[in-house]
Amino acid sequence: MTIAAIPVPSPELAASGPAAFEALSAAERLARPGLRGLLALQAVRAVLRLGFAATAAMAAGRLVMGETVEPWLVAGMIALLAAACLAGFAAERMQASAENAVSTRLRALASERLGKMPARQLQSLSTGGLIVSMQRHPEAIAALVVGHRAATAMMAAGPLLAAIALCLVSWQAALLVISLTPVMVLFFALVGNAIRRRADAQERAFGRLAGQFADRVRTLPTILANHATASEEAKLGRRLEGYTGETIGLLRIAFANAGIIDFFASLSIAILAIFLGLGHLKLATIPGFSNLELWQSLFILMIAPEYFAPFRRFSEQYHAKAEGLAAAAALDRLLGAAPVTACPLPVLDRLRLTLPAHGLVAIVGPSGSGKSTLLRRLAGLEPGAMPTPGTRPLATGEIAWVSTDAYVPEGTLSEAMLWNGGALDRTRLENAARAIGLLDDALLPGGLDARLDKGGANLSGGQRLRIAVARAQLSGRTVLADEPTAKLDRATAEAVRRMLIGISGARLVVVATHDRELAAAADLVVDLTRDDTVEVAA
Amino acid sequence: MSTAFQSSSRKSWRLATGFAFTALACAILLGGVSAWLLGSVAIAGLSAAAFTFNFHTPAAFIRLFAVGRTAARYGERLTGHKAALADQISRRVELFAAMAAAPAVRRAGWQLGDDARLADYLDDVEDLDFARLRAGLPALTFACGLAVLIVGSAVLAPLSLLPIIVLLLATLFAGNRVARAGAMAWRETRSLRRGGASRLGAAMASAVPLKAEGAWNRECTEALAALSRADAAQLALRRLQAMLDMIGGALGPVAGVSVMAAAWYAGRQGTELLAPMLLAFSWLALGETMNGASRMLVAVLRRNAARAEIGQWTRGTAAGRREFALDDIKPALLLHGGLQRRAPDGRSIGTPISLLLARGQPTLLVGASGSGKTSLLKQIAGWIGDDAFATDDRILSAGERRALVSLVLHDAVVLEDTVRANLFAGDAPDAVLWRALEAVEMDGRIREAGGLDSWVRQDRFSLGEAQRINLARAWLSPQPVVLLDEPTEHLDEAQGERILERLLARFSDRIVVVSTHRAPPLRDVRTIELQP
Repeated sequence: MTIAAIPVPSPELAASGPAAFEALSAAERLARPGLRGLLALQAVRAVLRLGFAATAAMAAGRLVMGETVEPWLVAGMIALLAAACLAGFAAERMQASAENAVSTRLRALASERLGKMPARQLQSLSTGGLIVSMQRHPEAIAALVVGHRAATAMMAAGPLLAAIALCLVSWQAALLVISLTPVMVLFFALVGNAIRRRADAQERAFGRLAGQFADRVRTLPTILANHATASEEAKLGRRLEGYTGETIGLLRIAFANAGIIDFFASLSIAILAIFLGLGHLKLATIPGFSNLELWQSLFILMIAPEYFAPFRRFSEQYHAKAEGLAAAAALDRLLGAAPVTACPLPVLDRLRLTLPAHGLVAIVGPSGSGKSTLLRRLAGLEPGAMPTPGTRPLATGEIAWVSTDAYVPEGTLSEAMLWNGGALDRTRLENAARAIGLLDDALLPGGLDARLDKGGANLSGGQRLRIAVARAQLSGRTVLADEPTAKLDRATAEAVRRMLIGISGARLVVVATHDRELAAAADLVVDLTRDDTVEVAA
Repeated sequence: MSTAFQSSSRKSWRLATGFAFTALACAILLGGVSAWLLGSVAIAGLSAAAFTFNFHTPAAFIRLFAVGRTAARYGERLTGHKAALADQISRRVELFAAMAAAPAVRRAGWQLGDDARLADYLDDVEDLDFARLRAGLPALTFACGLAVLIVGSAVLAPLSLLPIIVLLLATLFAGNRVARAGAMAWRETRSLRRGGASRLGAAMASAVPLKAEGAWNRECTEALAALSRADAAQLALRRLQAMLDMIGGALGPVAGVSVMAAAWYAGRQGTELLAPMLLAFSWLALGETMNGASRMLVAVLRRNAARAEIGQWTRGTAAGRREFALDDIKPALLLHGGLQRRAPDGRSIGTPISLLLARGQPTLLVGASGSGKTSLLKQIAGWIGDDAFATDDRILSAGERRALVSLVLHDAVVLEDTVRANLFAGDAPDAVLWRALEAVEMDGRIREAGGLDSWVRQDRFSLGEAQRINLARAWLSPQPVVLLDEPTEHLDEAQGERILERLLARFSDRIVVVSTHRAPPLRDVRTIELQP
């Protein structure tokens, strides 16, 4: 039951590459429903707060002026306050939920993308970078598309609502605060530019010093090994000092941003209080500020800060924007990278090969000749012509992969041996583990119940490989083994060879190997030594 | 140097506290006095008193408060950050020294060499750095403002204290609940994040086998799901925070309304109500600063969690802090009759072996991966265990050997610094440094990169190049004992042999141990084969 190799085009591995990931637009789409509700709640909260300010001003003004305060006014005031608090509560909860939903779904999208990514490309990613990215970036992007977008929208809606409320009492007062706004925005822009220029200059001059503490912690064992602790400590102090000095210089300008809003908010209160006071005294007749009731001027005084509050909240979100954009760019780079192309291996494309349904097939050749690539093509992990045993290519569920980087879950040795397979009785497990020398391994005490750390951190490559071999034996699948005997001591290598040969009695076992003894035992040897021809000897 | 930081930080904190109090006082008075002024003039405007009313003094005060609030807030922010950054310098330098002295750093594989763990660690350090600025200072000023207004309310409208105290108790109760639930949520978040991160790391390390066996999607999805569960734990905390913020946010308005109501109920009228109105608007202004209450609490939670986490790295530091200066000792041999080999976690490996390391005759440690070569080298270097070794005329403890040994780790890294700093040769002349780079065949590459004073980073070099820089450090090291862990790893065979031969020639009058998994053809070496 053998068939000649035919090129099998694999749609997922097509060379055209994936579309860009576009984390930001995906996040925006995901955020839309939550954002709408959030904005509605924030607007309701703003209206309710204005209502409370109006009723409170009315009650206080009437009380001071000795007029009667109707019970409905007091009841309305309390109801509005309670409702405003509840709306604020609901808005904050909604924002938290919406951001959480976006980050969770974004992560699911990323997971999907990683699932489609070819193994070669996955290997080209930095593991630490990917972990940092998956952990933090979805959250940062969510904060941008929900929190920051809401603050941006409220920066338009909040002042507008406050201005409308002011208009109800005195359109001139409304005009006053509105006319302060362009001046404030102008300052904003000037300061923003100054910050950017300064930050760029700082990046050029001091970017090197920014990560010094992190770098020295990362490299600590190297520093210790070179007896440089004392000198590095002194240097670290100097560099942190230099960087801090520069940072304070930058903050001096950056805080001016918030200072401008504070200034205009304070200024508006001061101007309004004085105009309104003069109006009440009837010392000066200022249109819109004279002949007002006390409650009306108190109302104006209470609303003016509300006009500026959304600007302030927006400026506090400055970091959220920068971080979110950086996170989205990083995620796009990571997940939308162009596919990593393998070195061309013409020898593999010319390969004419029939694989038996069972038996040991050894792929031999020097490093770089394409042994591992051929094995990966067999597993469907690489595009290109691949030999197929039987009548169809191997499906992923039919492969047991043996290598020193085999996956080992956290738990006991028996759990690791059963991983990705069905339940088996303990005797079979024990036999397999004994045959491969896992039970009398001095570095793995406890037999089948030996504890394996997360990620197999307490295992050597040889132990991992032996677990994979035992798993392959138990699984009943076709075995693909990448250098199964390299880096093993003699006795263990012998045990691995014996077990692979044993498995090949009933199933197909393909090994990519340098090991002459193993190759000698093969039923079929594929020698990739020479560039243009492939010798196949039975 | 550190006393200079401390005194400047103390001064900055004092200044920041002053600014914070000024800012809060100005904010409260700006609201209160403006309202009082409006009330006063409104009443005065009804009568002839309008012409004698001293309008300009309170108006001047209002302008003063407005400018004062802006300036003081700016000052508070700037000096507060200045103080926090000054603290940051001394704290980070101390932390670096403490971690350098911690035994855990020498023992196992360095976990903070990993990007993800390092990022978490830096978050923790930052949480410690800014806790005082984010929580300590605002809490202090708020508490003082609160005390003043409570006293004012007790004097002007005693009945108003009832709702105020009820609400304060509710805030405290909610705060307590958030604190407890938050501490738990943080623990949960951390453990879920770490679990997800290590699971993703394990999946990435086995990407090819997992893809081949069709198990990648499951593992990857589950790892990311753990990260999302961590986010969900944070969501639970944020919802609790919203509750606290709602109660806290109600404090100002409720207190203001209560003061007015209590004053009216006590029978005050007209001008008698002006002082309570001042107080009521002050409460409103104070309430505004209460908006970030939950953030302060979370800053404290994060600080506590970070403190516990960072404490793990520096535990046991005091014992290992002693540094030995043994410049004059040049042992001719190192001897241990029955050394019990140990894994980094303290487990014993195999039966005791006898070691005789002699000057002038390199020792080769050969063994399969996992046979404990690195651990044995660390044990000889005094990084693991506390075995004593004999020399010709004395006993050397682990701590003393640490000073005598140059341990050349196989996973050594490149510091983000100049090439010169990376060679750790103090102020050795350029010619010596170039000679070392030539010996490891890196001189061309470094010249290309810009010479000895060019700034370099790990990611600019291949593994083989980083390894050769590491060997150049060994070349320059003055220690009488040199331990080379897999020196030819990542190098091609011929180059590895050339460099190793040069190094051994240079170390001909020192004690040298080389570990390797493939024995190079070397003359005059004693070989020890390690069995796991």
